[in-house]
Amino acid sequence: MTENQLNLTGNILRIERSSIHDGSGLRTVVFLKGCPLSCSWCSTPESRNFEFEKGFAAELCLGCGKCAAVCKNNAIYIDPDNKAAVTDRNMCSCCFNCANVCPSNAVKIYGKTMTVSEVMDEIKKDEIFFYHSGGGITLGGGEPINQSDFSAALLRESRLLGINTALESCLYGNYQNIEKLLPWLDTLYADLKHMDYGMHKKWTGEDNSLILENLAKVNQSEYSPQIVIRVPLVPGFNDSDENMLATLQFCKGLNNLKGLELLPYHRLGIDSYRYLGLDYRCGEIPPPTAEWLSNRISFLKEHNSELVISSGSGFNAK
Amino acid sequence: MREASYQTKNTGTEPAYMKRINRLKERVLATQPEMDLENARLLTRGFSEAEGDPLVLRKAKAFYRQCSEKTVKIWDDELLVGCSGSKIRAGILCADSCWSVLDKELDSISNRPYDPFYLTPEDKITFLDEIKPYWQGRSNYEEWLAQIPEETRILRDAGVVYIDRKAVRGWGETTAGYEWLIREGLTGIITGIQARKAELDITRPGDYEKDIYLQAMLVSAKGIIKLAERYADEAERLASVETDQQRRKELEKISEHCRRVPAYPARTFYEALQALYLYQVAIFMEQNAASYNPGRMDQYLWPYYKADLEAGRITTEQAQELLDCLWVKFSEPCLFQDAGTAEFAAGYPMFQNVCVGGVDETGKDAVNDLSYMILQATMDVKLYQPSLSVRYSVAKNPNAFLRKIVELIKLGTGFPAFHNDDAGTTMLMNKGVPLKEAYNWNPCGCVETNLEGRMRQYTALADINLGHMVEFALTGGRSRKYDRIVGAETAKPLTFRSFEDFLNAVKTQIACATRAVVAGSHVIDEIGLNRPCPALSLTFKDCIKNALDYSRGGAKYNVGNGIILIGVADLVNSITAVKHLVYDTGQISIKQLLKALEDDFEGHENIEKMCREAPKYGNNDSSADKIAGEIFTFIADEIEKYSSKFGPMTPGILPVSGNTPFGLEVGALPSGRRAWQPLADGISPSGGTDLKGPAAVLNSVAHIPHGRFVQGTLLNMKVEPAMLETDNGITQLMALLKSMCSLGIYHVQFNVINQETLLKAQENPDQYKGLLVRVAGYTAYFTELGKDIQNEIIGRTVQQGISVG
Repeated sequence: MTENQLNLTGNILRIERSSIHDGSGLRTVVFLKGCPLSCSWCSTPESRNFEFEKGFAAELCLGCGKCAAVCKNNAIYIDPDNKAAVTDRNMCSCCFNCANVCPSNAVKIYGKTMTVSEVMDEIKKDEIFFYHSGGGITLGGGEPINQSDFSAALLRESRLLGINTALESCLYGNYQNIEKLLPWLDTLYADLKHMDYGMHKKWTGEDNSLILENLAKVNQSEYSPQIVIRVPLVPGFNDSDENMLATLQFCKGLNNLKGLELLPYHRLGIDSYRYLGLDYRCGEIPPPTAEWLSNRISFLKEHNSELVISSGSGFNAK
Repeated sequence: MREASYQTKNTGTEPAYMKRINRLKERVLATQPEMDLENARLLTRGFSEAEGDPLVLRKAKAFYRQCSEKTVKIWDDELLVGCSGSKIRAGILCADSCWSVLDKELDSISNRPYDPFYLTPEDKITFLDEIKPYWQGRSNYEEWLAQIPEETRILRDAGVVYIDRKAVRGWGETTAGYEWLIREGLTGIITGIQARKAELDITRPGDYEKDIYLQAMLVSAKGIIKLAERYADEAERLASVETDQQRRKELEKISEHCRRVPAYPARTFYEALQALYLYQVAIFMEQNAASYNPGRMDQYLWPYYKADLEAGRITTEQAQELLDCLWVKFSEPCLFQDAGTAEFAAGYPMFQNVCVGGVDETGKDAVNDLSYMILQATMDVKLYQPSLSVRYSVAKNPNAFLRKIVELIKLGTGFPAFHNDDAGTTMLMNKGVPLKEAYNWNPCGCVETNLEGRMRQYTALADINLGHMVEFALTGGRSRKYDRIVGAETAKPLTFRSFEDFLNAVKTQIACATRAVVAGSHVIDEIGLNRPCPALSLTFKDCIKNALDYSRGGAKYNVGNGIILIGVADLVNSITAVKHLVYDTGQISIKQLLKALEDDFEGHENIEKMCREAPKYGNNDSSADKIAGEIFTFIADEIEKYSSKFGPMTPGILPVSGNTPFGLEVGALPSGRRAWQPLADGISPSGGTDLKGPAAVLNSVAHIPHGRFVQGTLLNMKVEPAMLETDNGITQLMALLKSMCSLGIYHVQFNVINQETLLKAQENPDQYKGLLVRVAGYTAYFTELGKDIQNEIIGRTVQQGISVG
């Protein structure tokens, strides 16, 4: 790898170590910033924008005014009624001077720029854990294919060190950007949010035709990574028998399919919406129950007993 | 029963033998610990009758008297018998070494906050009329107070070192030669002593002393045989009046066994267990102390179990029931210690450390069926004793063994303490034991290292408060709490020209505290020379060969006492914060920092924030980790620099619960810790500062040179129960444990309890009597711990599953 590629930079939301929910073994997950879709149920809204963002937890604010005093753009003032800071996001340049002085950690920093070599330094710290667990690196986000050169460099560097590689992607993007990643990729976790064109567009902002097309191309590619189909299962959106069956039908066409994972909808991201000053759009959807999840898994298994079907993210369907 | 909720759901129906085990267990749980002065009374009479005899012989004769006159009781349902005192859960007073401890607490011991013991009015009278008048002026503690070096006293009084522990109890911290005792029997050992005695000629200088000593050993051995016979008699008497057929047979068997062992070699697994326990009772009776460690039971009991199985004398279920019965016995006795020491090690901790796994004398996998059954015994019984440890050899032990270990971790009893076998072997070699013997090491007490029947030491003689080392470097030796100079008078911080100047001041403080502890340790060694323990020495072959008591260095390997460091994360984080904030980034001046610390950060919230956000140990941050490696290399060097008459001094990091009382003595620290708060436990990160998950914690912790801290290093981690509910989670915990071994870390133990449960237990202690927590190197009943230790346990960072987020 050339020095240039090691110096490539990417926009990162965060790096999470010792994850057991994003591929085999203990994994280091690199969350990249920026996503082309805007799914209603998204649990990490802070990963959507490629640009940095400021989060603000009003309930932690002491109203001390230190942030307002250091703000370069005069974007912050203290609301005399609530005794809490208010930021005009249009004026904010995300310099994060405010975060550095906030005594109560009310300001959250979403985003940082890192070079490939800086990220690799983090990855390499856990080599022993990868060795014993069969783990490795997982790129997620956000959407890694949006920063494809950076992502490819990370996967390649990892592969050269014998570290297992995985990618979580919605596959909404130019296939050339996906193709760059394939030579270094062991497992692709591909999201299939809905098989219906219109429903997909309504709930994610884009239709699914490009996604299905890209998935078919990956399936045909000479590198043919293992594919795991992931369905973020949202009650009332994609949990109908009809959509489940359509998903199974699509899976039949994939020749390197390792399994199908259901990721049940959860509300753990609700605070992030508040911190970003965004409305939570799924407020009406009740949190799913374990019974509902078991029922959906059983339904899938009835219709395809060969396929490995599991549920991710700690939900324990029995 | 409350504990039912902590049991695994997949056990299906309980095996039939559990009925008895549950009854035995309920009796222990329902019994309040009491003081028991019968032994003290008998010992006092024995000593006064033998006035004129040499000290060791008087001790032996008094011990014999205890064996022949103490109350001998067999409780319902028991299959294994023996009790050091006259009550089920008793703290016994070892009058010859520590009578005075009770004197100060006569009116408070029944209600003291840590480890109360109920003292009856009659026992109080016995104490005042018989015990106190005889022993006044003769206890360890009185001798210690008279002889404590001035430099040690100054630091002790200011809470900088804790060094009274050994002045208030007997030896302990040892692994007797159980294997030899079971195989040879006391009569065999007696024959050896007699043969050795026959070689002596008392006209030769030194031989008279040896002759006396061997005589004392013989008296002690006969005492133990006498005690066993009395249990045999009692079982016979009970059998003769027993109406239940089944129970009568059991009692007859008990009687038969106690006639046989430990006098003669055990012939069966059952006899071997009875021999072991009667000897355990005897040595605890001889000297009340913590940490008489049965050690590698899966190894030395294996031939008996195997032979029984092959001969069809026993079934696996029967053997399991016997092990479970022994486990309940181990939970009966309660360590009696003074209120102050109890605060440093709360929960009546007996620290009887049983170990399974590891390698054999050829270095190959030693795991056998008994290893699994011993893990199962703890899963069945779920009581606070024995302290169960595993030696896990990442290269040699099978995955099935590791999985069973994780299944036990999952129960949330805090057991087993997980030890990396290679690191333990290294530690023993660093204590001067050749590899061939080091293969047979065993964890001792909390996480210290030991070698059965061969090694003498106090593994944890004294603790040094590392929080003070930073405090004093920033105050020129002045204690913030007492506002007087107690540490080394290092340069005024305002004169520091570089980070190195500050670091050197810290090192000087450490050197000064180490010196004071060593000076005190030597005094305690001298006092200990007059606290003979011939009954314990019986199973140390070299004590017979050398005709020299354990207390005087008769064992094969003698090691300098253990010096324990408390507040690892506080030290590392504070040094790192000073380096980062004052010298690397220049965010604040040393003057500003000093003012903020002096004011306990009141009015300096911005500086407090900077301190809290400075790099922290436990996050795999290279600046903090590098300091951890450097400073702990320095500390090991510093301690190893000193020798005692028993060998080089030995470092270790095991807080027991001392990080809480030590914290009360230390003002605000540059780490961002506020004044008088608990220090971090063991080598664990400070609570709430490890934000990057378990791999980051382990990577940080690996920067400490574990193999050099030969008295062990202790790491606490917590996992959510939810994480261990999936097969994948279990597999990943196995991988984490293997990784930890590859990183050279010595020990880890897990709390698998959610905070909500602990808070509820704190509010309604009666409903949570059986709730166990790992305090630090040992397991105790949560509701029996003092409130601030409870709070600290509640405050430890909960690892989110093992992934964060």
